[in-house]
This record gives sequence, structure tokens and C-alpha cells, in this order.
Amino acid sequence: MTIDSTTIAQAEPTFQRSHTVRLPRSPKVIGGAVIVAIFGLFAAIGRWVAPYSPDATDTKNWVQHVLVPGTGPGTEFPANYYPLPLGPSAAHWLGTTVFAQDVFSQLVTSTQATLFVGLLAAAIATGLSIFFGVTAGYIGGGTDEGLSLVANVFLAIPGLPLLIVLADYVPYAGSSVILVAVIIAVTAWAYSARVLRAQTLSLRNRDFVEAARVSGEGRLRIIVAEVLPNLIPIVAASFLYTTLYAIYAYVAISFLGLGGSPTSSPPGLWNWGEMLREGFANNAVRGGWWWWWAPPGVCVAALGTGLALLNFGLDEFINPRLRIAGFTGKAARKAGINSRTATVITPVMRKSAIPPTGAMPADAVLEIRGLTVDYGYGEDAVHAVSDCDLVLRRGKVLGLAGESGSGKTTLALAAVRLLRPPAVITAGAVRFRSPKGVVDMLDATQPQLRAVRWSEIAVVLQSSLNALNPVTSVGAQFDDLLRAHRPLLGRSGRADRAGELLKMVGINPDRLRSYPHELSGGMRQRAMIAMALALDPQVVILDEPTTALDVVTQREIIEELIGLRDRLGFAALFITHDLSLLVEIADEIAVMYAGRVMERAPAASLFHAPRLPYTHGLLHCFPPLHGRRAPMEGIPGSPPDLRDLPTGCAFHPRCRWALEQCRTQVPQLSLVDGSRREVACWLHDGGQTVPDELARRDPMLVAQ
Amino acid sequence: MTKPSAPILEGQNLVKHFWVKQGRGPFARRAPIRAVDNVSIRLDAGKVTALVGESGAGKTTVGRLLAQVVRPDAGRVLLDGKPAPAGRPRSYAAQVQMVFQDPFASLNPVHRVRHHLARPLQIHGFGTGDVDAAVADLLRRVALKPPDQFASKFPHELSGGQRQRVAIARALAVRPHVLIADEPVSMLDVSIRLGVLNLLADLRDEERLAILYVTHDIASARYLADTISVMYAGQLVESAPSERLTDSPAHPYTQLLLSAAPDPDRPAPPHLAGRGAPPSLLAPPSGCRFHPRCPYAMDICKRQAPPSVTVADGHVSACWLHVDAAQRTSSENGVPVGAGSHIDKEKQKR
Repeated sequence: MTIDSTTIAQAEPTFQRSHTVRLPRSPKVIGGAVIVAIFGLFAAIGRWVAPYSPDATDTKNWVQHVLVPGTGPGTEFPANYYPLPLGPSAAHWLGTTVFAQDVFSQLVTSTQATLFVGLLAAAIATGLSIFFGVTAGYIGGGTDEGLSLVANVFLAIPGLPLLIVLADYVPYAGSSVILVAVIIAVTAWAYSARVLRAQTLSLRNRDFVEAARVSGEGRLRIIVAEVLPNLIPIVAASFLYTTLYAIYAYVAISFLGLGGSPTSSPPGLWNWGEMLREGFANNAVRGGWWWWWAPPGVCVAALGTGLALLNFGLDEFINPRLRIAGFTGKAARKAGINSRTATVITPVMRKSAIPPTGAMPADAVLEIRGLTVDYGYGEDAVHAVSDCDLVLRRGKVLGLAGESGSGKTTLALAAVRLLRPPAVITAGAVRFRSPKGVVDMLDATQPQLRAVRWSEIAVVLQSSLNALNPVTSVGAQFDDLLRAHRPLLGRSGRADRAGELLKMVGINPDRLRSYPHELSGGMRQRAMIAMALALDPQVVILDEPTTALDVVTQREIIEELIGLRDRLGFAALFITHDLSLLVEIADEIAVMYAGRVMERAPAASLFHAPRLPYTHGLLHCFPPLHGRRAPMEGIPGSPPDLRDLPTGCAFHPRCRWALEQCRTQVPQLSLVDGSRREVACWLHDGGQTVPDELARRDPMLVAQ
Repeated sequence: MTKPSAPILEGQNLVKHFWVKQGRGPFARRAPIRAVDNVSIRLDAGKVTALVGESGAGKTTVGRLLAQVVRPDAGRVLLDGKPAPAGRPRSYAAQVQMVFQDPFASLNPVHRVRHHLARPLQIHGFGTGDVDAAVADLLRRVALKPPDQFASKFPHELSGGQRQRVAIARALAVRPHVLIADEPVSMLDVSIRLGVLNLLADLRDEERLAILYVTHDIASARYLADTISVMYAGQLVESAPSERLTDSPAHPYTQLLLSAAPDPDRPAPPHLAGRGAPPSLLAPPSGCRFHPRCPYAMDICKRQAPPSVTVADGHVSACWLHVDAAQRTSSENGVPVGAGSHIDKEKQKR
């Protein structure tokens, strides 16, 4: 069989992404979990640990009497007395109420009903929201419109008034916690239903749902087994949120006397709202008996805080962006980096001394020496780029080739310090020769960098199709740029220049009035290139500028770029995964693998006589357009995971010529075949017989 | 060409329009996007047919029409010579399967590999025996070894190439006769694309699968496919055995595609014939849809859609250049073109 065997044995060293479910372990989440756990414990065992019955009056400790309002002298009723509430003591940890009942026992007993109603209501509400949200989202059409209408009506009715009306009108609502929970749930489900509907809508069109449909899976099974499991984090978050809401709602209606009181008939259950109601009804605030009304209030607030903190943790779990900010932010502060700067600037933390660099080569515009870039700090750091050297020469195109994750974009953007933290430059030197003198990019201050970027070094990004501002016209965007950088140009001068730039990239200047969405993908990319060239830069960095475009458009844009390069004389760094394209357009090519430059050579030499096994393999990954069709092999295995790189040469697990040495020692880039090309491979260290495939005659050498 | 055997899956004169709102509000006019217009294509057992074109050319829609995921507005899909039943019943799913473009999206992140492969087996009644053994067998067929280790992995634990192999294994689970692979390698890293293409080639050779390979990369189509069909703006413009199509393209659009494709062996920079972008499918050009970009456009190209002309054995091109001048004029006078051409003879036979 010609199938390359992607066996575990090969994959193991290269691909071990451990995405084991790891809940964020920030102090917030732990705090929230502890708070909720304590309340949970009290709810479970409170009945048995309470020192007194919540209803029992402690006659032994009656010390003083308080006149019941509306009785005694001056009224028609005989004087009637309450016992004076006692402050906290050894016998009553949180004192007593005006009925000589133990506050602590009431508090502990109340926890159970409060939490029970909260959880039950949240469970019912979540069930309703899943039913309405997921069904509406998945089935769509009329069902969606009907169910969404119901949800919207419930959303439009203010929650608390509805709750009060329901609790008041439903008979016996107060005496049944289940009925109370149902009433709360009815007012609480609609918001989550909308969130779940929106999520389902986006999941419904995902390929794996379509794949299940194509394989003949039934509708119910797709909803339950394919869609729902993906919603679990959101369902959990909405459950926590609804629990919080339900507890507040239960406390609120109990405080209003609608949640059932232990003294009414039929009797309700003790809960925090009821405790607050009794306290407030009996002058607890005016009497200064804080131990009576404060504890239930504090409990409501504390449980609410606990649930909110847990929800925050879930949010971090669902949204990886927050997770990264939470995790690495701390490490960044430890490392002394302010990761919250508004302008993009890559921090530099060089441990070793700056390598001696000497004079720049005469025709070099941008020189990168030993550049090393990490993502993250300290032990968690991933080395995205290690010890890379590149030289951009005036008027030349340097191609940077590599697969996804090989570090090609990181290398280029770090050199102009356009990566945000947690990216950090940990070693190396980058020098840029501007007409005004040599700038050390890694020592440059923010104003220095600002002066260089765009006007001297321009970048066309991978996603630049979306980089144009969608709400202003193309012309306005050119105008902004020119006004900021060419203050001497007048209004008409700027308009002329903008038109000239568009014409240069093959777009009719009429298009200045167009908005980005009115342009095709190819035109937007051309407009981006025109903007990059607007200030006559010395260097243009092009990061996969044509990957999203069709071949014909790609070819046209590349032709234009080469023509402009010939006319304007800038140096270009062209980054792409398409080595076959690069061979056609670049003067020199550097091949990256796992964060290192592994081979650097003139384009023709690299294509006709590769020296690196990886380059050789990569060149044989592009089927030719001519000649006899023959089976090709590709490269076995998969690109490595930067978090878990193989030892020695990172390519050795996939290399058919791997030596013992390759497993243990990292090869360094060194010159071969004279002074024009370099390769990092042990096969070329002079002590080995080089395989024929890697020893072809270099056409450039022959030409000399 | 030897007498062709009956195709396994065939689309005849398929038409699919997607209706979009023009403007805003409830009374906005609706206009059709002519995504697929009168496309006929056949898939044979043990052959790979490539469908090549730029984005928006309608090639994915043709694949989805053949898989019956979308219903055609006109034309019909024949499976083993019989019209495909409406509603895409399981019997159809058991014969025609799809592989999607993005292996990072086509596997459900919450399920293990075993689930992805066992479900189709259970749905289609192969689940009575030893499901684990059947899953292991599927994984072995797509060269994921050792299978028992892969079966218990989640998609995120696999690399892109491995995921795409799982997706292919899932499609193979129901023992289909036809596989529709929509850009199966375009999201994969360059170094592992050939592995997946070679796997498809082996399935064609060893299991006699009929494969539709939808791609924008004409070089990979040449590598894998036996026949290449080229689509432009919703229509089929050329169809030929793959080496013949790339070595001597007969349609100006195919020539343009080939001249634009990256080709390191090319001695001089290519000359692009037919610059510009594909037309809007809301208001496609009259006549031949390629005429505004065509360097050889004639008067008739603007007025009348070209017929499919057989330029050589098995090589069909929809272009007026291959209709001789006399016929072109008579066609303008209302006489059907190519009355004696091979295609029409074939049509008459059917």
C-alpha cells in the first residue's frame, strides 16, 4: 500500500495536545466554590446541626420585656410584652429574636429551603429554556417563530411584578416550595432560551451536524446527541445564573410575605426572606438588633457572590480569550510586563547579552540575528521561534515558507514588534536601515517604532481582507493615513495621491468612493497593498497575502507586486505555505520548521537542488502540472506540536535519512556549497555520505 | 473510448438557484443566484472524477446535489440508473456518502472517534455484530494504527490529517458505492495532503469506489483524478481525462486556470489570458458566461450560450471556438448546432 501509516508510534512524540478538561483555578473560582459548598453543606445537614428548633422559644433567657406596639397604656388593649432580643452569646451564637427564638438555628434551617427553591426553580427554568431554545434553533422556520414569540413575550413582561402577581394569586403558593419554584421558573427561563437558541442556530450549520444528517441520523438523535453536548457549558452557566436569580426572587417574595410563613396556615418553610420579613416587621432595624436582620442579608449576599464567582469561572472556561488573559496575566506581571498597553508592542526580555553583530551587509535593509520568540513566560513558555537569522536585501523578495505553526508569521511580526504579549522576544537582535540611519528595533522606543512602522516597514496581514474599516469609504481611509503621515499634502493633494495609489494596483480611482463591502476580495487585498505602499516603505512584509484568493486573482496580484517591487525598489518578505508559488516569485527562500530556519538558499537552488530532507519532502508534496503522473509520497507523520517538540532535530521523526545524532543534537544552520546557501542538517556536516536526492547539482553554482 | 459502462451516480441537467433578498424590508424583491445551471456529470465505479473551479463556481453545490443534501430545482439525480428517491432516505445515505472540507469542524468535539464510526454502523444496521471490531477495521482501512488507541481518542487529540482520515472512515462505515469529497485536503497542512489523496486513490483501486473530488487545485486534481470537469460561474465548461485536460486544454477558461496555477517548472512568467474576476451569478453575462474575460470572444459568444462540443475522444468543451464557422452561422439562424457531433449521438442513444 502506498498509504503512509500515520501510526501512533509516529504521532506520539509530535502530537499530544492535552486538552483535558481543566477548570480555571483562579482564586475567584476557588472562593466561589468554597462559599457555595459551605452553604450546600448547611442545607444538607442544617436541620440536624441547628442547636435549637427554629420555632422554639427560649423561656429561660427572657431578661426584659418589650411592649408589643399597640398595647398597654393609652390603648384599649392590656399591655403585652415581647422578650427583648438578646445579642450574640455562648448560648445563642447569633442572639435571639423578639420571640426568643435562636437566630442561628433559624438561619441554618432556612438555608435548606432557600437553596432548594433556588436549585429546583433553576432546574425547571433550564429545562424549559433548553426545550424552547434548542427546538426553536434547530428546527427553525415556523416552529422557531412560534417558540421565539412565546419567549419574547415572557422577556417583555417585567419579572418581579409577574412573580408577585403569580405568587399572590396561585392558591396555596406560599405553603408549597415546589409551587413557588415553578412560579419562579416560569418568570426566569426566557432569557436563557434566547441564548441557547442563538447558539443552536450556529451549531446547526456546523459541519459535524450536517455530517450526522448525511450519515442518516434522525432529528431527535441529532439534537440530543450531537447538538446538546456542545451546549453544556452554556447550559451550566445559565443554570448558575438562574439559581442566583431564583434565590433572589424567593427571598424577595418571602420578604413580601408571599413565600409562605411558618406561622401561617398551612405553614410554609423557614427561609431567609421570611427571617428578614419577621425582623423588619418587628422593628429589628429601629431596635438596633442587627444580629437578627443582618445574618440572612449577609447570607443572601454571600451565596449570590459565590454563585457569581463560579459563573465567572465557567465564563473563563467557555471563552478561551478570558482564560488566556487570566492565566498569563499573572505570569506577565511576575515577569514585569504590562500586558495591558493600548498600542501593540512586543516586549523584549533578553536574558543573554546582545550578540555582537558588527556592520550590516551593504545591501541589507532588515537584518534579523538569533531572534527567539516565546509565547508565555517562565516554565509555561512555548518557543515559537528559536534562534532565527534572516537578511532582507534592497529590491529583493525573500520567501519564508513553512507549514502552520512553523513560526513564520511570528518571526516576521516579532521583528517589527507587532505581536501582543504574551509573545516575548527573549533573544536576538533586529536592525533596520532607514534612510535616516540604522534603527535597533528591539531597543527602539515606542515613538521610534511608530516612526518606522508603515512609513518605513509596511505589513499586509493574513486577514487583511477584513482589515479595512467597513463603515468608511476606501478614500476616507487613504485620506486618514496620508493626513497623519504626510501633513504637508493638502486635501486635493491627498485625493490625487490616493487615486494614484489605487491606479498603481490596478483599481480604477473611482473606487475611492466605494465602501469595502462593495469591493471583491481581490480588490480589497489590492487596496490593502496600495495602503501599505502609500508612504513608500523600504520593507513590505506580506503574510499569506493571497491565500484566501482564487488562483487567477492570486496570480494577478503577485504580478502587480513584482512589478511594483521592480519600480519602487522595496524589499519584500513574502510569507506563505505554498512553496511552489514561492519558487516562482522569490529571489531567496528560507524554509522554517518547528520555529527554526532550517534551510536558506536562492530560489532556483532550493527548488532544483534541495539540501534539507524536509525541503526535499515539501517539494514533493506539490503534484506537477506536466509530465507523467506518478505516485508521490508526501511526508509521513504530522507537523510537531510546539509544546512538545521532539528532541534533537525537530524533523527527525518524519525524516527517512535520520541519523542517531539527529535524535539528540539540534543541528545549526551552516554554509554549504560555498557562501550562498545554508542548511541545518547533520547529513551535511561533512562526515556523512549525502543521499543522492540531497546532493543534486546546484544550477546556480553551475551558472557561476 | 471503450464503450462506457453505466455510471453509478449521475446528475442530469442539474439546476439549483438560491433565492436572495435584494434590498431590505419585508417587500424586498427576491432574485435567484444561479449557482448551478444545467450541469450533467457522471461518476463511475473505480474512478475519481474531479470537479475543479474557483470559489463560487458552484462545484460544492453540485457535490451537495449529488449527495441529495440539497434538492435540485430542475434536472435529476440517478443512482444506478434509477431516480434518487425524495427526502434522502437511509437507503440513499447507505450508498452515497460525503467527506467535508474542514476536519476540524466535521467531527463533533464532544464525541470520541469510536462514536463517530459506530453511529453510522448502528443507523444502517451493521451494528448487530461486534461493533468494536468493525470500528477497528475501519480505522485500519484509513491507516490509523493501532486502531484501538485511536478509537478512544477525542477529535482534538488528533492532527488535521488524522481527523480527515477519521472523517473518511466514517463515510466508509456504511459501505457506500459513492464518496463525495468536498475539498478534503485544502484545510490540511501541505506535507500531509498527499497522504490523504493517496488514501482516496487506494479506496478507488481496492474497493472500486466512485469518488467525486471537488477542489480548486487543478494540480491535485491531475494527480488524483481519472477525469476532470471544470466549472465556471455555475456551468460545466470542459471535461476530459485528467492528463489530456491539463496537457491540452480546449476551453479558454481552463487555459486561464492552468496559466495562473503555481508551477515552479515554468520557464518564464505566465501570460494570463482573461484577467478579471468571475461574474455575479445574480446577473450572469449573456451567451457564454466567460465571454467578458475571454481573449478569443466572438460576436456569437455574447449572444448565445455555446453547445458542448466533443473535441476528442472523451474530451468535451463548451466553447464556440470548437464549432466551425459554417455551423456557427447556421446556429444563429436557428438550426441546432452540432447535429452530427458525438455528444448528440450519445444523447439520442439514451
